[in-house]
Amino acid sequence: MKRRGRGIACMWYPIGFTVSANPSAAVVKVNEDGTATVLTGTVETGQGSLTVLGQIAAEALGIATDDVHVVSGDTDTTPMDTGAIASRTTYVTGNAIWLAAEAAKEILFQTAAPMLGVKTSQLEAKDRKIQVKNFPQRAVAIGEVALRSQVVLGQPAIGSASWNPPTVAMDPETGQGKPFATYVYATQIAEVDVDDETGEVEVLRICAAHDCGTAINPMLVEGQVEGGISMGLGMALQEEMLFDANGRHINPNLTNYIMPTSLDMPPIEVDIVQGFDPTGPFGAKGVGEPTAVPTSAAILNAIHDAVGVRITSLPATSEKILTAIKAKRAGERKQIPA
Amino acid sequence: MTDVTMIVNGQTRSASVPPETTLLQLLRDNFNLTGAKLGCDVGDCGACTVIVDGMAVNSCLMLAGQVNGRSVTTIEGLATRDRLHPIQKAFEDNGALQCGYCGPGAIMASKALLDENSDPDVRDIRDALSGSLCRCTGYSKMIEAVQEAARVLRSEERNQITHART
Amino acid sequence: MDDKTKVLEREQLDIESLGVSDVDLRLPAVVPREPFPIEPLTIDARQQTRAVGQRATRPDGRLHGLGQTKYIDDLSFPGMLHARIKRAGIASARIKRIDTSAAEAMPGVMAVVTGKDIPVNSFGPSFQDQPVLVDELVFHAGDGVAAVAAVTEQIANEALDKIVVEYEPLPAVLDPVAAMREDSPKVHAPNSNIYATKVVRKGDVEKGFAESDHIFEGRYSTQMIEHVSLEPHAAIADWDATGRLTIWATIGRITLARADMSRTLKLPMSRIRIIGTIVGGNFGGKNEITQEPALALLSKKTGRPVKGVFTRGEEFTSTTTRHPIIMDYKTGVTKEGRILARQIRLVLDGGAYCSWSETTLGKACILSPGPYKIDNVVAEAFVVYTNKTMTGAMRGFGAPQVCFAYESQMDEIAKALGKDPLEIRLLNAFDEGSSSPTGQVLHSVVVKETLNKAADRFGWQEPRS
Repeated sequence: MKRRGRGIACMWYPIGFTVSANPSAAVVKVNEDGTATVLTGTVETGQGSLTVLGQIAAEALGIATDDVHVVSGDTDTTPMDTGAIASRTTYVTGNAIWLAAEAAKEILFQTAAPMLGVKTSQLEAKDRKIQVKNFPQRAVAIGEVALRSQVVLGQPAIGSASWNPPTVAMDPETGQGKPFATYVYATQIAEVDVDDETGEVEVLRICAAHDCGTAINPMLVEGQVEGGISMGLGMALQEEMLFDANGRHINPNLTNYIMPTSLDMPPIEVDIVQGFDPTGPFGAKGVGEPTAVPTSAAILNAIHDAVGVRITSLPATSEKILTAIKAKRAGERKQIPA
Repeated sequence: MTDVTMIVNGQTRSASVPPETTLLQLLRDNFNLTGAKLGCDVGDCGACTVIVDGMAVNSCLMLAGQVNGRSVTTIEGLATRDRLHPIQKAFEDNGALQCGYCGPGAIMASKALLDENSDPDVRDIRDALSGSLCRCTGYSKMIEAVQEAARVLRSEERNQITHART
Repeated sequence: MDDKTKVLEREQLDIESLGVSDVDLRLPAVVPREPFPIEPLTIDARQQTRAVGQRATRPDGRLHGLGQTKYIDDLSFPGMLHARIKRAGIASARIKRIDTSAAEAMPGVMAVVTGKDIPVNSFGPSFQDQPVLVDELVFHAGDGVAAVAAVTEQIANEALDKIVVEYEPLPAVLDPVAAMREDSPKVHAPNSNIYATKVVRKGDVEKGFAESDHIFEGRYSTQMIEHVSLEPHAAIADWDATGRLTIWATIGRITLARADMSRTLKLPMSRIRIIGTIVGGNFGGKNEITQEPALALLSKKTGRPVKGVFTRGEEFTSTTTRHPIIMDYKTGVTKEGRILARQIRLVLDGGAYCSWSETTLGKACILSPGPYKIDNVVAEAFVVYTNKTMTGAMRGFGAPQVCFAYESQMDEIAKALGKDPLEIRLLNAFDEGSSSPTGQVLHSVVVKETLNKAADRFGWQEPRS
C-alpha cells in the first residue's frame, strides 16, 4: 500500500573559500561603438556563468546583455581566476567584473563630462547613454563617448580590477572567525509516496525556495535548482560507489551506479527569495552548490512522515526502507500484550 | 575492412572501416559529425543517440556495418541555413541545456518522439527522455521545451495543411 | 636519425594495417561547413538595458543545440596520438617492477611514460600527496601506473595489457573509523591516517546540556558518490618548437592547473598555456589536474599532440568523489524545542589523497550545527586516509551530508516534542544579525523567508487530504 508523506529541510551555505584568498581578476574593454568585451579567467562548465558575468558587465555599463561578449578560459589571454568552484563565480568574479567596468566607465565619464558641461560625479550610464543624473535629457550615446575617448583623446576605455572576499582567519582552538564573506539560505519541501510492501519511494513533488541574493538571471537560477535537486535525489535514494573487501570498485559504470533519469524526477516548483547582499555585485550572492544540499534531508523526512521509519544512512534504498518497515512492525507486534 | 554506404542527413556518405567500428565512431571520426557524443560507450547514457530509419538508437551499440544502406539523422541534420529546428529553438529559449554534452542525444530522442507522437503528454516525454542521462538540468526545462516544440510543430503542420488547401 | 626512420616505418605499417589513409591524418584542406541559422538569439531579454534580472538566453546554448560546441574529444589535430593509462587494480601495494618494453615495441605505440619520468611527481591543492603516476607505492585501485600514446585508441588499449607490473600486495584499510586506530595500516606511512582536523567551539556545551529539558543523540552516515559529468575528463597536450606547452583541458580552474603543471614539469609558468574549453559538467570533479602532466611528457617525447580521454570506468575509479561522512549529533533542547546546545563529531572518509579534503573538512565542520541560533556548540571533524578513490570537491563540500544529519535530527526532535517541523525550525533559525557558530555576525539572512515561502508554495499549513 502506498503511503504519502512530506518532509521539510532548510540549510545555509557559504560563498567562496574557507578563509583563504580566492581572488578573481577581470578586464572590461569598451569598444569604440559602445559595445564591450570582458576578459575573465574563469571557465564555463555548464552553469551559465559567462552569461551571468556578461549581464553584470552590461548592467554596470548601462548597455544590454547582447552588447557584451565574454572571453574566458585561457591563461595566455585572460587574467587569473581562482575558478569555477565553491559557488563563487557570480559573487567574486562578478565583483571583479563590476569593479573593472566601473573603472572603464570612469574613463568614459572623464570624456563625457566636458561634452555635457558637468562634473564626472554627476554622470551615470543607462540605456546605452552617458547621461546626467536626475536630468537624463542631457545625454550622449555611449558609442560616441567611447569613440571620442579612444581616437580623439587617446584614452581607450579599458578597466581592470581584482576582488577577494574579506575574511578573518579562524582561531586554531575554537574556530572563531569570519571564514566567509556571505552565505545563502534555502528550504526544500518534498512529498513522497512510499510503498510499504516494497520499500520503493516515488518523489511526487518538490517545492524549493532558494536565496541567491539578487537573481542576475532567474532562468539560470531555476536551472541550478532543478539540477541540484536531481543530484540531491540521487544522493538520497540511489547513488553509491561500492568496493569489495579488497578495495576494488564493484560498480564503476552507469549500468550499476544508479542515478536519476527523467522518470525519477518529480515536478519542481522554484521560488527565488531575493536576499539582497550589499557586498555582492548588484546584491547577488551565488547558487551553484546550495541547490543540492537540503534535498536528501527533505526526502528522508518525508519517508519518515509516510511510513514512520527513520533511515539514518544514505542512500535510502528500497531494501533498507523495507527492512526498517518490517522491523518496526515486528517491534509493534511485540509491544501488544499477549 | 568493411565498406559501408548510408544516407546521413540526406547525403550519401561512404567509408571503409575496420569491422568492429561502431556507428558512433563512424560518425565522429570518419564523417566529422561530432555532435553525437561518447559518454559511456555501452549504451547507458544516451549521449550518442541518433535516429536510424526513424528510430532513436544508441549509436555506440550499433556497428557501422549494421547501418549499411540505411538512413541516419544526426543533430547536424536538424537546422538549415535559415532556420533552427523548433526543438532546438525551444531548448534554447527555455534554457534546457546547461553544459550541453547530453544535448544532441536528448534532442534526437525528442525528435524521434515528436515524429511519432505530435501531442505527447508529460509521461510520454519522460519516457522518451529516459535513455538520455543528464546531470546538469534535472530534465525539467527539457520537458517544457519538448512541449513547446510540439505546439510549434503542430501549428506549423496545421498551416501547411491550410496552405495546401488554398 | 635512424630512430626517427624506425618510428616512421612503424607508423606506415599501422596506417596500412588499419586501412586509414594518410589523407585522414592531414590537415583537411576544406573543412565541411556546418549550416547555421542566421536568426539572432532571443531578442527581448538580451536587448534590455536593465540587464540584471533578465531571463537572457545563453549564446553557448545556441551552439549546444546545434551540436556545434567543440568539447575536447571533438578536437583533432594533425598527427594527434591517443593516450591511455594503465590502472593499478589493487588497493595497496609496493611496486617491485614495471616493464614497459613489450608495449613500447608494439607497432603503433609511440611512447610510454611512468612515474619516474615525471620531474616532480606530486601535486595537490593543500598537501602535495598525490602522484601523477605511482612510482613505488600504490594507494588505491584506480591509481595510474603508466601512460601510453599510440596512433589509435585501440592500439593504446592493447598496449596497456602488454605493460607488466609486479606488485607486492600490502595491507589496505578501507574503513575510516578503523583507519583512525593507531594499529591500522598507514596509507601514507609513517604519517597518521588522520591527516587533518578542525574544531569549532562556542559557549559551554556541558552547561547547555545541563540546562536542557531533553537530549537527543543520533548517528547519521552518507555514502561515496561520483560526479558523473556526462563529459569524461579529457585533455590534449602539445608543444611548440620554442618549448612552450599548450594544454586544452576540462579543468574549471586553469590558473591552478597552470601552477600544477609548472610544479610537476618544472617549467616556468610563462611557458605554459592552459586553455579551458567549454566543459561538459564539473560539479567539483574537474578542479585539479589528473592526466595532464603525463600527456605533456608523452607529447614531448613524440613531438606530436596527445589526447587523453577517460573511460566512464576511470571516471569512477580514478577521479575525485564525494566524502562519505559518519556524523554523531547530540542536541539539547528546551521543552518548547529551542536548541540550547549541540555537540557534533564528524569522521570524513578522506580516500587515498587529500585533494580538496581540507576545504571539505572546514566547511562541513562550520556548517554542521545548521542555520540555527545555538549559544553552545562544539563541532569536531577529522578526515582520514583510506585505500579508496580519493575524495575531493563535490557540489557542497560536506554540506549535503551534514544537512542530512541536522535536518533529520530536527525532525526527530519535532516528532518527540509533538511540534510541527516547520514551527520548530522557525523557532530556532537565524535572524538578520545572528551570530554563527564561529562568532560571525550574519547579514542578508533570509532562512525564515525561505521556510515560509516554500511552506506557502507547498500548502504546508493546509489540512492534509
